[in-house]
Amino acid sequence: MKDLSINFCGVDFINPFLLSSSPASNCGEMISRAFDAGWSGVAFKTLATQKTKIIHPSPRLNNYNYESSKLIGLQNVEMISDRPLKYNLEDISWLKKHYPEHRIITSIMGFSNEEWRELAKASEDAGSDMLELNFSCPHMTVEGSGSKVGQAFDLVEKFTETVKNATTIPIIAKMTPNITDMNEPAMYAKKGGADAISAINTLASITGIGLDDLTPKPNVFGKGSISGYSGPCVKPVALRFVAEMAQNPELGLPISGIGGIETWIDALEFLLLGASTIQITTGIIHYGYRIIDDLIEGLSDYMEEKGFNSVGEIVGAALKHVHSTDEFDLERQGVVEYDIDRCIGCGQCYTVCQDAGGQAISWDYENRRPVMDEDRCVSCMACSFICPIEGLIRYKEMPKGWERFIPEPMSG
Amino acid sequence: MDLQSKEKKGLFESPIEKRLDLTLAAEEASRCLLCFDAPCSKGCPAGTDPGTFIRKLRFKNLKGAVRTIKENNPFGWTCGEICPTERLCELECSRTSIDRPIQIGKLQSFLVEYGWMTGFPPINTVTASKAKVAILGSGPAGLTCARELAKKAYIVTVFEKREKPGGNLRYAIPDFRLEEEKVNREISEIQALGVEIKVNTTLESLGGVDGLIKDEFEAVFLSPGLWSPKRLDIDGANLEGVHTATEFLEAFKTGNNSIFQDKIKGKTVAVIGGGSVAMDVAETALRLMPADVYVIYRRSYQQMPAEEKEKIRTLQNGAHFQILSQPIQYMGNSRLTAIRCRRTSLGDPDESGRRQPKEISGSEFEIKVDFAIEALATEAEPSLKESEKSLQWTNHGLIEIGDETCSTSRLGVFAGGDIIRGPALVVEAVADGKKAAQAIADYVEKKGVR
Repeated sequence: MKDLSINFCGVDFINPFLLSSSPASNCGEMISRAFDAGWSGVAFKTLATQKTKIIHPSPRLNNYNYESSKLIGLQNVEMISDRPLKYNLEDISWLKKHYPEHRIITSIMGFSNEEWRELAKASEDAGSDMLELNFSCPHMTVEGSGSKVGQAFDLVEKFTETVKNATTIPIIAKMTPNITDMNEPAMYAKKGGADAISAINTLASITGIGLDDLTPKPNVFGKGSISGYSGPCVKPVALRFVAEMAQNPELGLPISGIGGIETWIDALEFLLLGASTIQITTGIIHYGYRIIDDLIEGLSDYMEEKGFNSVGEIVGAALKHVHSTDEFDLERQGVVEYDIDRCIGCGQCYTVCQDAGGQAISWDYENRRPVMDEDRCVSCMACSFICPIEGLIRYKEMPKGWERFIPEPMSG
Repeated sequence: MDLQSKEKKGLFESPIEKRLDLTLAAEEASRCLLCFDAPCSKGCPAGTDPGTFIRKLRFKNLKGAVRTIKENNPFGWTCGEICPTERLCELECSRTSIDRPIQIGKLQSFLVEYGWMTGFPPINTVTASKAKVAILGSGPAGLTCARELAKKAYIVTVFEKREKPGGNLRYAIPDFRLEEEKVNREISEIQALGVEIKVNTTLESLGGVDGLIKDEFEAVFLSPGLWSPKRLDIDGANLEGVHTATEFLEAFKTGNNSIFQDKIKGKTVAVIGGGSVAMDVAETALRLMPADVYVIYRRSYQQMPAEEKEKIRTLQNGAHFQILSQPIQYMGNSRLTAIRCRRTSLGDPDESGRRQPKEISGSEFEIKVDFAIEALATEAEPSLKESEKSLQWTNHGLIEIGDETCSTSRLGVFAGGDIIRGPALVVEAVADGKKAAQAIADYVEKKGVR
């Protein structure tokens, strides 16, 4: 097994895999089991002072499925921790005492400068290794809290600064994705003194509507809401935000990647695009803490296979290949090629090519096989995505000077 | 394991027989490759279009899926349950080249049940206004023909000799394969479209086909089925304990089974024959906690005409296949005590393409049995052939059909189902009913009636 340790803001983690601040990191008992399972650290579920009473809506979650795949997305109307602050602080101390190798990042959310200061201080005193400032919870609707802060950039800076001045431990600012450009609030956080950025929190969403009660889900006694969306569906969006911040030389802060991670490949993609720790919840909601085994083993085997000696070497390794589309070499073109001997004759490639591609494929009804006219192939590759036989349809580059057929206008 | 604990453990249902629910159906539908020119939709004698109804299920158009099934086939549920899909639609499935075919039959019966569960009526009623058509026999062929004609606004009367409609579905196929309540539901859907079913009515009482035509029926569809069991021509056939499959299965279907129920418990039963009916008899007998059930068949396992899955299920449920054995005598004084058989060996193929059994002299042996149930082929009832001499009959005792339209040698008289094919599948009977309905409509229209 490879050494998967990583240094994040000067704090050493035994591996990059953490629980994110969520129901999966709600209390000491849960977190201790996660640590036993192999997770290196936790972003403890967001603490608040007890001036605002936290009550979770019921029910809290809704599932988003695709065909027989369950939970490709998850919507929640969960609030921050509803436990007494004292309990949470005691659990943090207990965890630090019993798990000295593991790292506690305490997520906090204040409703005023004073509260931010108080929470930061208390968390540090309890033994937290780092703080994560929750500027992004989409369900805290009080002005000056949650994603309202994340969308009001001056408040991001102000509260970060407040916390910075109250503590000595590193501070991560957690970003909401419900904005256009994440670099903007991230830069405000940096100005306020943030040591790192975590992204993304959940996307504002509606995952479904009851067809009988006409109420968005989760249906909280006749009311639905636009609320946070997570899970495998959001990963592509999260990777985009992480890459944009990692490519911003002015920001230059370490990133903790969050959003739809379930497998070691998901995690690796975040690392390759510049994240140096990984936070997970929805994968745990679906499968439990046990997924850590496969995250660790998979990443370790990949590093072995590719000759990476540390996780640090992976971080950002793909960034140099992320370009804007106007930098593409459009001189080079290609088409698909079929290994027709392996074809089973379902004809899905024909359907997609006719209705959404270049009409390059025609259908041999007698033999029930596709017939390809290369010159019409637009190399969208859609046929290869639908083909049930892995690797039957591949990309092939055409010689320089080859020209693609362009459909002529209808006449007559 | 004794049979009681076997029943408890559910061995009578093999694991692949599990029923689908909405989640499992959606999961199965998501395996479908949605073929461009769905080959499954070309594999059904009755024109079932799984390519379309599975796509509809996949896109959550559940009512549409039920409509597709039911518009095509009034016995959509029944066929989904009992059709040998593995050698029809599922045989054609492209998915087979990857792993295993989509469970089309199960999806079909699930969807019909889903329609019932949600109270969705897939077919609209039409006011009957056209010519009168008489249908003789209320099995799947007759009732399908009736339903199709009712959809086209014909005034349809179905005459049924027995107490209840359904033919083989009602009187032959055991409940564990086909739930009576759901068959009733499919039949009542047909009645709801205005089809009148007159039970306890024989063709004789109507004056035969002549009588029907005199009675202003513009066309007649004959689908009486084959209800006269062929018998083994051997000594002892009159002994107590020797029965026919028709008699045995009907006893259980009608509840008049006191001569078998409880009496078979602890006893030994021999079923003679290797077709689907023989398997139904053996499986029915196995459920009565007998000592042993033998299936005696004169050829070998491979030549048994029963479906592969039926043979396997019957074996799994505990029957002994006594193959290559020709019964030559029922033994006993007044009651059957044993069957005397002769070993056979297989020679050259006969006209059915199956290797022919040849008895081996000197190889006689006896099997002690308490019951023998002959499950051989069935034929047309002799009285029918006798009374309908105006029709052309084949050498095999079936009604001769002129062409693809199910028309007989007599103008305006059509026929379908087992009476033209010999023992056949329900789905083939449905196919005949559909074909005949179209032919009847064409005929009546051409004739210019109303």
